[in-house]
Amino acid sequence: MAAAGAARTTTGISVSIARDPALVRTVRLVAAAVARRASHDEEFVEEVRLAVGEACALLVGETDESANGGPVEVTMRLEDRLRVAVSANGSVAAADPPTSDIDGVEPWALLRGLIEDFDISRAAGSTTLSMSWALA
Amino acid sequence: MDLSLETRHEGGHTIIEVGGEIDVYTAPKLRDKITELVGNGNYNLVIDMEKVDFLDSTGLGVLVGGLKKVRAHDGSMRLICNQERLLKIFRITGLAKVFAIHGSQADALAER
Repeated sequence: MAAAGAARTTTGISVSIARDPALVRTVRLVAAAVARRASHDEEFVEEVRLAVGEACALLVGETDESANGGPVEVTMRLEDRLRVAVSANGSVAAADPPTSDIDGVEPWALLRGLIEDFDISRAAGSTTLSMSWALA
Repeated sequence: MDLSLETRHEGGHTIIEVGGEIDVYTAPKLRDKITELVGNGNYNLVIDMEKVDFLDSTGLGVLVGGLKKVRAHDGSMRLICNQERLLKIFRITGLAKVFAIHGSQADALAER
């Protein structure tokens, strides 16, 4: 029996992609679709799309060595909040390298600017970027 | 959607009309285009982003890199962007103060 007052069923979606930058867009599309289930506020949907894409791009990496590191796993759950976890084998520097031409415009700055609840954890050789949003 | 790049010259400026999504996959194409144009002596660039659907930090990095390239030749890079969702990204990252962002090609080309 559903809990009294439950407004929506829990949605859980997992996507696993190879470490190919071309596939990050696919994850963004899924993220936007999940966000749209929770809210029709397009600003919210856009924020989720951007944040999940950024997190995914960080873990996909652009180097050849990361291509052999296994897939990037993305799980999205609509519970009390929209919770997203993006994880992959290996570690990721929590700041841009000084050689980057991004000049202080770190993906991290964008992620932290976008999301109130953002966390990085490392365990057993893998890195997980977790984020969540309150649901209206 | 892939990235589309159309280039034309007008009034001493080189206008790159960008369409589609600028992300971790497509941004290198924009970077290569800017590098090619600067290499050929085009130092006053206008990047028209009116038809851009999506921009991530990789794309921002390419734009900052382009700005540095043209400035090294005393050139300029102006952006055309009037979409709130893209402008928000420039604001969050502090880049709204770094770039000259215009609402239309006419505005961008009118400024001296």
